[in-house]
Amino acid sequence: MVAQPAAVLANDEELLLPAEARGPRVPGRVVLAGNPNTGKTTLFNILCGARAKTSNFPGTTTAVRTGRSQWPELAEPIDVLDLPGAYDLHLDTPEGEIARAALGGASGQPDDAVVVVVDACNLARNLVFASQVVAVEQRAVVALNMIDLAEQRGLTIDVVELSRRLGVAVVPMAARKGIGLDALRLALLTPTRTPAQLPPANATPEVAMAWAEGVASDVTSGDRGVDGVDRLTERLDHVLTHPVLGLLVFLGVMTGLFWVLFALATVPMDLIEATFAHLGQLTETWLPEGAVRDLLSQGIVGGVAGTIVFLPQICLLFFLITLLEDTGYLARAAFVLDRLLSRFGLPGHAFVPLLTSHACALPGIMSARLIPDRRDRLATILVAPFMSCSARLPVYVLLTTLLFADRPAAAGLAFAGCYLLGAGAALFTAWIFGRTILKGHARPMILELPSYKVPSLRNAFMAAKDQGLSFLTTAGTVIVAICIVMWWLSAYPKVAETPQVQELRARAAAPGLDEAAATTLTQEADALQSRAEQSGSFAGQMGHAVAPVFEPLGFDWQLTVGVLTSFLAREVFVSTMSVLAGGQADAEVDEGVVSRIRGMTKDDGSPVFTQAAAAAALVFFVLAMQCLPTLTVTRKETGGIRYAALQLGYMSGLAYVVGFVVYQGLRAAGVS
Amino acid sequence: MTDRRERRGPRTVPLAELAPGAMAILREISDQESRAVLQSLGLTSGARLRVCRIGDPCIVQVRSTRIGLSKHVAQSVQVTVSGGESW
Ligand SMILES: Nc1nc2c(ncn2[C@@H]2O[C@H](COP(=O)(O)OP(=O)(O)OP(=O)(O)O)[C@@H](O)[C@H]2O)c(=O)[nH]1
Ligand SMILES: [Mg+2]
Repeated sequence: MVAQPAAVLANDEELLLPAEARGPRVPGRVVLAGNPNTGKTTLFNILCGARAKTSNFPGTTTAVRTGRSQWPELAEPIDVLDLPGAYDLHLDTPEGEIARAALGGASGQPDDAVVVVVDACNLARNLVFASQVVAVEQRAVVALNMIDLAEQRGLTIDVVELSRRLGVAVVPMAARKGIGLDALRLALLTPTRTPAQLPPANATPEVAMAWAEGVASDVTSGDRGVDGVDRLTERLDHVLTHPVLGLLVFLGVMTGLFWVLFALATVPMDLIEATFAHLGQLTETWLPEGAVRDLLSQGIVGGVAGTIVFLPQICLLFFLITLLEDTGYLARAAFVLDRLLSRFGLPGHAFVPLLTSHACALPGIMSARLIPDRRDRLATILVAPFMSCSARLPVYVLLTTLLFADRPAAAGLAFAGCYLLGAGAALFTAWIFGRTILKGHARPMILELPSYKVPSLRNAFMAAKDQGLSFLTTAGTVIVAICIVMWWLSAYPKVAETPQVQELRARAAAPGLDEAAATTLTQEADALQSRAEQSGSFAGQMGHAVAPVFEPLGFDWQLTVGVLTSFLAREVFVSTMSVLAGGQADAEVDEGVVSRIRGMTKDDGSPVFTQAAAAAALVFFVLAMQCLPTLTVTRKETGGIRYAALQLGYMSGLAYVVGFVVYQGLRAAGVS
Repeated sequence: MTDRRERRGPRTVPLAELAPGAMAILREISDQESRAVLQSLGLTSGARLRVCRIGDPCIVQVRSTRIGLSKHVAQSVQVTVSGGESW
């Protein structure tokens, strides 16, 4: 082992070089290259203190990522590049192209040092790529990663011999545990190169492979080749890739995921909701009546509460998906779903982008780059936003709870149904497109099934924390801003009291009336007045202007405003409704967000959220394209505005039509 | 299956037709489109394979790499059987 104590290095004065004096020893940049799923991004994250996405699925990274790394040996930070994994440097694939552009001095940076990250458990195949890089790079170091797993499996690798055969330094590492970093830095700062017998540049795959197998078997002991199986992987695959059992397990895993999201998160949700209700009450008692108080209690507290209650669910969603990704199960899910997906014209590879889109369509669409074929990639990108992203989650929770007030089981089912509806719409759309604008069949699957690994809890916690924080940042900035604007739009301009209200007030003030009757009259007058004010407000005017468009779906002007503002960001829907509900005279501040919204009434005093209207709104939100960033990414990834426009038009049209059918159907069936 | 195990010269069969647990040696990939990708994954001529799951899709192991393949692809991978038993 080439272990090198860090302390010795850091104390070595000579190694602390100022930027100007960077001799040939210090590389300009460090490029991380290698086969997919070997731990390049894990290493990148440790070197740069970053949190780029890693997962136990080949093809996680799809674009070059740059970071800066501060080394104890250097005065200045050094640039580090993380490349997408490639199986073959000379293959005509997007990953191969990116790797070729960054390696061999092609990027015009001859002082780059390259770290070829190889998987110690899969040495032979990894060595082919390593030899290709070593052949074109002067300064290369091989990081023999996942040495912890190799040891677990009883493999011993002769590092010195491997280094001699490759002609470059070989550093055993366990990137996930941070083992071997000091030795890696040392190897990068003290480049060595010895003559080696690499396969010739024009070697056929057979020749290169034979060379790699020879080297691998010479340096490895304890390997039993194709007969040596990873027992755990073998056993798990026996069930998880089974055509029937595998599908059942998949359904079970997904059901479990959504059950946890819906059922488990209610505990912290209730807590947050109660806290905000209390806060709202406090502002009402402490501040004098007036615009400031209204703004605080209705606009900010109400609106932000309507967003933050969903924080636990967002965190849980990311926690669970990250755990699942780290186990290696996703490749199996893609495997068992391949047959189903290919019937609808999608490749098995589409599974990961589609699952990722349940968190957010942006990374989902970007991860579609791992799909080799352009037609398949386009089909996947076009249907990915149908998957229910985490921004829809708050809307689903709100609307399903409104729909099934006293039946949590039914609400849970409806919640799961939304996810199914989204996925179903995606399949249906892929099928339609496959028959029309994207003619052809999905490419047959070729997918490496990585061995199962124990997931890293730390990774999952970090992902949950990062996503939670970013959600809070949005809530704290964008959503507060929108809430304030919404509140202002719904509170102004103030309208004068209508004659009807004046008459009511006059009657209440009439002498001789008993107190109870007077209070009733005053309340009636207040309610009428606040309704008139809301309806006459800017938001009301806007809503009224657009409402005819959504009237066939059963949306009144308030729901219409909610739908319109959710084009800014879907989760804004809940806060908008919350702000609008807060402006109503009969709203109680100490009520929870949901019950406040449930009590919303139309101009004529009837409830906004009838069963039929709530159901129509729900399917509308499942299907509609209400996300500007997604359109931007679609445009970028497909290379033109055409597909983004198609996505917008198709999804909005479908949402409208299905919403219409649901509302009118329910009405015809006698549901109010 | 027994007749195939008899040594009758280099008789090749598609990978898709093997039994689970069978061992085989890869001879040729007839599908032009997927050949390069399969080779880069280690499925080169002469490689020893083990069939882990049959059907569509199937799983084949080459060295310590497990690869999921659509039947269409497995049909185009020509192999000679080299023994092996069910597990
Ligand atoms: N046990 C163990 N697991 C590791 C080690 N390094 C990485 N992993 C895990 O291996 C998986 C792949 O890691 P990534 O860093 O995403 O791999 P990558 O090379 O960037 O993969 P692509 O982006 O797909 O090319 C993840 O589940 C990591 O947690 C290690 O040293 N030991
Ligand atoms: Mg990566």
